[in-house]
Amino acid sequence: MSEGTFKKYGKRTLVYVFLILMSIISVFPLYWCFISSCNTTAEILGGKMLPGSHLIENLTNLFSQQDVLSAFKNSVINTVLVLVLSLAICSVAGYGFEIFHDKGKDIVMGIIMMSMMVPFVAILVPLFQMFTKMGFVNKYIGYILPSLSTPFLIMLFRNNARTFPKEVLEAARMDGLSEMGIFVRMFVPMMRPTFAAAATITFMNTWNAYLWPKVVLQTPASITMPMLVANLLSGYVVDYGVVMAGVTICTLPTVIVFFILQKSFTEAVAGAVK
Amino acid sequence: MKKLISMLLALVLVLGCAAFAEAGEQADGKLTIWCWDKTFNIAAMEKAKEMYQADHPDVEIDIEEVLSEDIESRVIASNGDTSTLPDILLVQDHSIQKFVTNYPEVYHDITDEFDFSDFMPAKLGLSVVDGRNYGVPFDSGTVVAAWRTDYLEQAGYTVADLTDIDWDRFLEIGRDVKEKTGMPMLSGQAGAVDTVLIMLQSCGGSMFNEDGTANLAGNEKLKAVIDTYNTMVAEGIFIEVNSWDEYIGTLSNGSVVGTINGCWILSTIMSLADQAGKWDITNMPAMVGVDGATNYSNNGGSTWAVVNNKDIDLALDFLQMYRNVDFYDAILPATSAIATFTPAKDAPNYTAASDFFNGTPIFATIVEFGDSVPAEVTSPFYYDARGNVGTAVTNALNGGDLDSELQTAQDTTEFTMGF
Repeated sequence: MSEGTFKKYGKRTLVYVFLILMSIISVFPLYWCFISSCNTTAEILGGKMLPGSHLIENLTNLFSQQDVLSAFKNSVINTVLVLVLSLAICSVAGYGFEIFHDKGKDIVMGIIMMSMMVPFVAILVPLFQMFTKMGFVNKYIGYILPSLSTPFLIMLFRNNARTFPKEVLEAARMDGLSEMGIFVRMFVPMMRPTFAAAATITFMNTWNAYLWPKVVLQTPASITMPMLVANLLSGYVVDYGVVMAGVTICTLPTVIVFFILQKSFTEAVAGAVK
Repeated sequence: MKKLISMLLALVLVLGCAAFAEAGEQADGKLTIWCWDKTFNIAAMEKAKEMYQADHPDVEIDIEEVLSEDIESRVIASNGDTSTLPDILLVQDHSIQKFVTNYPEVYHDITDEFDFSDFMPAKLGLSVVDGRNYGVPFDSGTVVAAWRTDYLEQAGYTVADLTDIDWDRFLEIGRDVKEKTGMPMLSGQAGAVDTVLIMLQSCGGSMFNEDGTANLAGNEKLKAVIDTYNTMVAEGIFIEVNSWDEYIGTLSNGSVVGTINGCWILSTIMSLADQAGKWDITNMPAMVGVDGATNYSNNGGSTWAVVNNKDIDLALDFLQMYRNVDFYDAILPATSAIATFTPAKDAPNYTAASDFFNGTPIFATIVEFGDSVPAEVTSPFYYDARGNVGTAVTNALNGGDLDSELQTAQDTTEFTMGF
């Protein structure tokens, strides 16, 4: 083997070792979560790293202690509502900000971007007061309304709309397609990776949301999965096997959604347009 | 394509309409209670509900599981408007001062409407703000020293050797046990200062003066406590771990001889079925050369607060259950929730011997301990001061000068208090 080939393969081996190590570090929390849901508290605290035989027992205890189906249903409804409505609103807003020209649009966009700097906790109390007066507490509308239009999604769609070919836009207009028709029939199909990335981010943020739901959803019938998992940790005695079973159920939908959309997500993050 | 667009728009419309549907009904016109822990507070409240409804079948009581932090978040978000709050809520003992001070319109002053006689004085004092009482005491956080008798036997000691002793004698025994068994006596979470504050209250000390000002710099009792604590850590008699889970792990793995903590820790110990019969309890060591030193202290616990809502009279009538010995006797087997209502110590379940703890009637013993706990001066800024003391202890352990570390803790606490 020549020195050049040795260097090439040596370098590649080092890169693979590094990547494998990073992959293990990334995947380990998920692995630990899954195997812990199969073990007892004593085994988890004892540092057992292999799957045990207590999965059914932990799940049975979890379902007997908490209304998992109701929390899961609430999480699904809240997440789907936010996902569909926020993608519909933010994609139109981002498209509009990029395609149409107006003197004031950059100022408006600047104001929207500045609102990203205000932490949610700062508006929590006035928002809750407002929603109480409007009768939105303990209702789906109360949960989803603050999440429907986010500066980040508008920015994401606006930035990606820059890659939307102007020639396509002009050709469609010349062919007599309406502006809404251009958006739906030309922009949406071409921006599929952007929609996938936005869907992934929105799904994760909404599914894992904790601060706002715990304030605005106050009855046991309206709690979400992250709130249910937090309830499992509240006692003087914590059954870690049951907690990890709850965490596993709470994590699975996010993992599944990410696996389904990962290719488009990567393309959108890399800025690719087909 | 048109079909697809129409379907998508219809979906958005349907989902939009669904958004206005109720996610759950807010309780109204009945007694609503917020508390946490299904196996402890909620189980106790369910029993209280069952016993109360036996005499008052028309009263509807809704017990909802809400985390301690979530209750606090919702009180903050309510900004004094009690329309979204329940009739009764559970409060951590050291949080009630802060919340009553910041949201006085939320908490009902029950001083003249509830009989507070026969409750443990140390517990009662925690819910008194400006001389007025805002809480019905529930579970005890009376400190116990729980020891593995099998480990002590290996070193030639019994629990009697650890009863009514001071920390100097404890250090001697700790060194000897470590030499003979290789085991530390105690464990605890680094920076959490539970043990330091337990020791401080055992000698009547506090992080605050009677007038509410911070009392950290130059606090001789606190300095003596931290010196003793740091000696234990430095000699390996006390091992510090990084998290609460690791602390529980040291008990379940049997890697320490015992623990000194609020009596609620016994629920965790009793869940370790393989260690049944290997434990016993006694009182904690007393400080040496400090005025007012005792072998008793308190750590943790919670209190029921009545919210200024429509059903105050009904809520107070219901909370009379917490003056009922039969109620405390009934909840004990399932919850191990130990009363702060002292007459409960004569109830049958309290006087029964515990096989897990070497035949000791642990519950009656703990209620007796509770009567001797020195009262503590507390403050709305308790958790701020506690965090600053934790930093001072950690820095002193790493070689920092204790006096200057406590001065820094004092300055930081006073800054938070707005002095």
